[in-house]
Amino acid sequence: MLASAMPSFTFAATQDIESRFMGASQLLVNHDLSPAVGARIAAFAQASYPNLGDMLDRITETAATRGASRVEDFFDAIPEGELRDFAFWVISAWYTGSSSGDRDATLFTYEEALLYQPTIDMVPIPTFGFSAPNAWGNDLYPLTDLPRF
Amino acid sequence: MTSSSQVIVVGTGVVGSVIAEHCLDAGLEVLMIEAGPRVSRAQIVENYRNLPLGAKPDATASYPPADWAPHPFHGLEHLESTGPNKYDPTYIRYAGGSTWHWAGTSWRLTPEDMQLRSRYGVGRDWAFDYETLDPYYNMTERKLGICGPADPLDQWPRRDRSMPYPMPHLPLSQGERKFTEVMQTKLGLRNVPVAQARNSGMPYDDRPACCANNNCVPVCPVGAKYDAATSLNRLEAKGATILDNSVVYRVETGEGNRIVAVHYYDRDKTSHRVTGEHFVIACNGVETPRLMLMSADDRNPNGIANSSDQVGRNMMDHPQQGYTFTTTEPYWLGAGPVVNSGIMETSQGDFRRDHAAVYFRLNNFARNRDIAKRAMASGKVGRALDEEIRRLTATSLNVVAAFEMLPDPNNRLTLSAQKDWLGLPRPSVYWDVGDYVRRSSVEYSNPLAQRIAEAVGATDFKPASPEKFSTSKHIMGGTIMGNDAATSVVDRHSRTHDHANLYLPGGGAMASTACGNSTITMTAMAFMAAEALVSEAKGA
Ligand SMILES: Cc1cc2nc3c(=O)[nH]c(=O)nc-3n(C[C@H](O)[C@H](O)[C@H](O)COP(=O)(O)OP(=O)(O)OC[C@H]3O[C@@H](n4cnc5c(N)ncnc54)[C@H](O)[C@@H]3O)c2cc1C
Ligand code: SF4
Repeated sequence: MLASAMPSFTFAATQDIESRFMGASQLLVNHDLSPAVGARIAAFAQASYPNLGDMLDRITETAATRGASRVEDFFDAIPEGELRDFAFWVISAWYTGSSSGDRDATLFTYEEALLYQPTIDMVPIPTFGFSAPNAWGNDLYPLTDLPRF
Repeated sequence: MTSSSQVIVVGTGVVGSVIAEHCLDAGLEVLMIEAGPRVSRAQIVENYRNLPLGAKPDATASYPPADWAPHPFHGLEHLESTGPNKYDPTYIRYAGGSTWHWAGTSWRLTPEDMQLRSRYGVGRDWAFDYETLDPYYNMTERKLGICGPADPLDQWPRRDRSMPYPMPHLPLSQGERKFTEVMQTKLGLRNVPVAQARNSGMPYDDRPACCANNNCVPVCPVGAKYDAATSLNRLEAKGATILDNSVVYRVETGEGNRIVAVHYYDRDKTSHRVTGEHFVIACNGVETPRLMLMSADDRNPNGIANSSDQVGRNMMDHPQQGYTFTTTEPYWLGAGPVVNSGIMETSQGDFRRDHAAVYFRLNNFARNRDIAKRAMASGKVGRALDEEIRRLTATSLNVVAAFEMLPDPNNRLTLSAQKDWLGLPRPSVYWDVGDYVRRSSVEYSNPLAQRIAEAVGATDFKPASPEKFSTSKHIMGGTIMGNDAATSVVDRHSRTHDHANLYLPGGGAMASTACGNSTITMTAMAFMAAEALVSEAKGA
């Protein structure tokens, strides 16, 4: 009995942590986030942070206390130390698509890393086609025109 | 298994491939022996995409070496470096060789670059002059598909060309144009479009036009950039036999000190012997001298082709120093190929009597991955983080100073006591960039770089340390060319002075480096060697 119950329990627990991870992520990073990428980051976080669930809940609660849905509106309320570091790690994972800046880090995504999106109007994601032949001489767009993503 | 061929070419890099094709076109039978595996472009592109961000700047990380064909690779001991500077070239032992991850920049030498001794009293003169090399440059530009400017003022060297480039130059991005304008108006320096082995606005050689995706290093996903792997199917269609995963470890001499065979290990460490009439060793500037030294025999106790004791000596490169600075206005580098313009005129002048010349290249790598750490460390979140990424990407510039280097017999490749997977001695290189280069860094290059940085409004210029140089990966000198058999390894045709049927074409033969990337010169010399080989084979 127990043996057959375990996998579904684990599956449910995984699903739960994934959705809590996506919830907290969406508060920390206010862009369209891919659930598939989120699942990979969550799996890595689960293996690295024993108190992952607790930290996710505390981030969500911090935002709720402020009634905030934008990161700017509650980030300063995340206590410095472990929780703040973790929040930065989550943001960094979404932006860099990697678990750290080390060369042996785990890759979560390449082309969906958010790092490329603020400049997607001007700079290609390397390996992906950017323009028709010899047609990349577009204007120098101003720094202020942030693309939506 | 093929055990004999009229022409044996060891190495399927650009140099080996060009010679093989020339021989095939002349009707000769050609066998190519290649140490590494044959891989698909799609596989390399996937390797690259799957690297974590921190490994992406490493041009070799997408090319894990086969056990039997090691090459310089993070975490693997292959090339030993000793001496005051670190010798750290990368090259790839795969079928197609190191042009897999080259940038394709193709500067010719100038006539002056080939006459350092007679003009400036330093280094060596070449065995021939620029006019002799010119037709072979033309052949190279056509074979590889090198695009370049039509305006004589933008051409390098600045002299009348005997033939136009086969394709127009690639457009500069707006940021590159702005840089060009600032250099001209504020410093009187001309930043010119790079001549490059990349299809410009049109297909060429059955390869598509460049579509600006900025991944030329480490791999062009579409083959718009020439690399030798793109030519291997064509060589086979013309009749070449290509043995891959076959590491040549010995060159065998016979009567009259002619070469009679090469020996190679397959991936199971089984040895094979292949005989031939004409031998071309095109394994690059490290692996070729290594093979010559490994093949020492009773007739040639110091190694093959080494009666002059110059094999492995005079190793050269373009030592380089990078400057990254932030400007106030956006330059938006990153659209188009990874290197697209540079300042060459700082590479010429009478000052070469005293110190090295230098070339400044404006790197055009998309800056996102390089600024990521800085942006994430800013502590910003939300829109402020997005704005910081946009600002840093748009305003950070990377300019690289590439120096010429003089041949010094002490900069020497020898065989290490350490062995590789096959039990072959690893290459070891003593490396000192020399005072000629160090002086240039302090007196010439750093001050020039500072003026460039100030002209573009940089706020954070830092001079490069005169002690720290990185390696350009342009491997030259180790089988140096000359007319005198006592002081050089190969003659003007890259044929060894010691063995009438052995050619060692490539960077090893170069007698001076100048400042520009040197593969176009290696390839032009390969054409000269191929012509000599064909006429010898035909009994001319
Ligand atoms: C990151 C990077 C960027 C570069 N960018 C430029 C550039 O923009 N412009 C430029 O001019 N140059 C550039 N270069 C240099 C350029 O790649 C080399 O000069 C060029 O590839 C040399 O060609 P080659 O045929 O002599 O040697 P390689 O291309 O190295 O080919 C040698 C071949 O020999 C094979 N081989 C080696 N040992 C053996 C053996 N024992 N038995 C059988 N086969 C063997 C190898 O597997 C390989 O296929 C760059 C290099 C690097 C690393
Ligand atoms: S910019 Fe892209 S298409 Fe053009 S050569 Fe480089 S990698 Fe190939």
